[in-house]
Amino acid sequence: MRQRLEVRDPIHGFVYREPEERDVMDTCIFQRLRRLRQLALASLVYPGATHSRFEHSVGAFHLAGKIANALDVDTSETRLLKLAALLHDVGHGPFSHVAEPILKRHSDKTKLGDQVSESKVHELISWQIISTDKELARLISDKHREQIVGLLKGSWGHSYLQEIVSGPVDADKQDYLLRDSLFSGVKYGVYDQERLSNTLVIHDDNDDKFLAISIDGMHALEQFVLAKYYMTTQVYRHKIRLITDQMIERGIALGIEEDKVEWLKALYSFDGSPEYVAHYMEWSDDRLINEILGNATKDGYAKKFFKRLYNRQLFKCIFDVDQNDFPDPTVRNFVFGDSKDFYKPLEKAVADILKLDSNEVIAYTIKFDSATRTESEIPVIHRMKTTLFHDESTLFKSVDQKIREQRFHIYAPVSFQDDKDKKKRLREYKNGILELIGKMADPQTRLALEGSLPG
Amino acid sequence: MNTSQFVLSLIHASGEVRGRTLLQKRGFFVSLLTGLASELGYQAHYYGPYSAVLDGTLTQMKNLGFVEEGTTGFGIVSGGFEMRRYDYSLTEDGEKVLQPFLKTKEYADIANAVRRIRDAGDPDYMELSIAAKAYFILRKQQKGMTSAEMLKEAEKFDWNIPEHSLGRAASFLSTLGLTSG
Repeated sequence: MRQRLEVRDPIHGFVYREPEERDVMDTCIFQRLRRLRQLALASLVYPGATHSRFEHSVGAFHLAGKIANALDVDTSETRLLKLAALLHDVGHGPFSHVAEPILKRHSDKTKLGDQVSESKVHELISWQIISTDKELARLISDKHREQIVGLLKGSWGHSYLQEIVSGPVDADKQDYLLRDSLFSGVKYGVYDQERLSNTLVIHDDNDDKFLAISIDGMHALEQFVLAKYYMTTQVYRHKIRLITDQMIERGIALGIEEDKVEWLKALYSFDGSPEYVAHYMEWSDDRLINEILGNATKDGYAKKFFKRLYNRQLFKCIFDVDQNDFPDPTVRNFVFGDSKDFYKPLEKAVADILKLDSNEVIAYTIKFDSATRTESEIPVIHRMKTTLFHDESTLFKSVDQKIREQRFHIYAPVSFQDDKDKKKRLREYKNGILELIGKMADPQTRLALEGSLPG
Repeated sequence: MNTSQFVLSLIHASGEVRGRTLLQKRGFFVSLLTGLASELGYQAHYYGPYSAVLDGTLTQMKNLGFVEEGTTGFGIVSGGFEMRRYDYSLTEDGEKVLQPFLKTKEYADIANAVRRIRDAGDPDYMELSIAAKAYFILRKQQKGMTSAEMLKEAEKFDWNIPEHSLGRAASFLSTLGLTSG
């Protein structure tokens, strides 16, 4: 009788594993994921959200297998798909996505070349780990590890296989929406997963073979899109969560750039070397907090920011606007365009008004990652015709448009006496900062600003 | 030059872009000819090279009120695909935002690239798509290839390029100076 090794999961019930899959889960690189929280410090908002990348990866593994079975994918490809889903997050470091901009900024571009602009750094690290980890190499052949990396990169296998591990409705998203929803204690991420995976089909239109959805699954897909939208607005972009994320990012950045903490710099300076990866693998969320707060790290910004996070003494949002606050298109484009050159001078000007250190004022634009592929182009298969999801769904366009709306925030360490004081001061801040931005967006002022900015 | 300026310039220089796929493929070639907006990160996709960044930037420009999207339905075409075309043009606000940029060298380069594409036969989105796929493969291989080799490589991406259309694609690429001929 075939040996079945199950794990009980709060979302999917029993998750069955083959002995090889169990052995992969037992490797050090995979066990490390137990020490990385899925949602960084979201538990400061939703106390239950302390789940880790470990259980999420097990969930993604389970769903990849479930989708592959529903699509009748052959056994050898299913094995690779499940392993790819299982290992897709192994390159995450402390605080996962929150620290990605720091990794990007400090990675060694001379050694890594175009890779850094083309891919996320944690993905590069994942691919390197899968390709080179010795424990993994004893379990999976070189050829198959190369194919697993290819599936994750999008360079090996049919489009529909790649889309199961990395696409608009991949196993990753299908799992994290349900899981983050459960552990945050909200119901926003719930959708009919069963129906969604059973109505995914492989569409062959004589030119290509790709992942599509049968018309019968339209509403399950719409439900999935709505779940993503609600989770984004209610959990991923919760106002306090955005503040904690920005405090983590700024604290680490200042630790490297201002406090000159060498070990912190080394941790975020990915250079593609085996030594770097070996060192990186020793870090977790808790270790990073403990090292920063410990005696071995000198007093400075990093310690100050992490002490505040540790004690939940968070910055406040003192300025919150969207595009409608800027009727003049030039100013609208200045604030929400691609350039962030005005952040530093604006932070400095706001800090001067509030009598704060400008490093403790954080300007931040909340925007949808424009490189993310949405559900828009998923083909919907009817009996006699094929349409695209964005044409078929009555609600997709408005949800997609809404999710891409941008907001501009400023966070600072201020406190208010009471609600009346808060309202009054926030109004004053808003008027004052709008005036500052208006001046900065003026072409004449911009020229002067550019002249005064270093390099 | 950032991606928003690139997208606004591309639409402005084209007058109006008829079709989302056309915008994607034209963006691919304009970026290639000008060396601008390398961060678009075109990747292999079932409609040929596709940039999620360009798609995302386009939606952002619509959100900010700088680009207008119009829709035209064409019913069901052969293969069962229902055709709907999305046309893009700049709004008054979009024109205003782009105004200071119109005098720059980058804009002139983009306008020139759009002109060169038109002069090279102004291919429709299907032809541009095939040419883009062919170029994508040639660039990946970094060597000259025969038609048979190219068709074999296309299969790896699940692309079924009709052999008869390769000639036109090759001539288009050659006119633009993107292949050795």
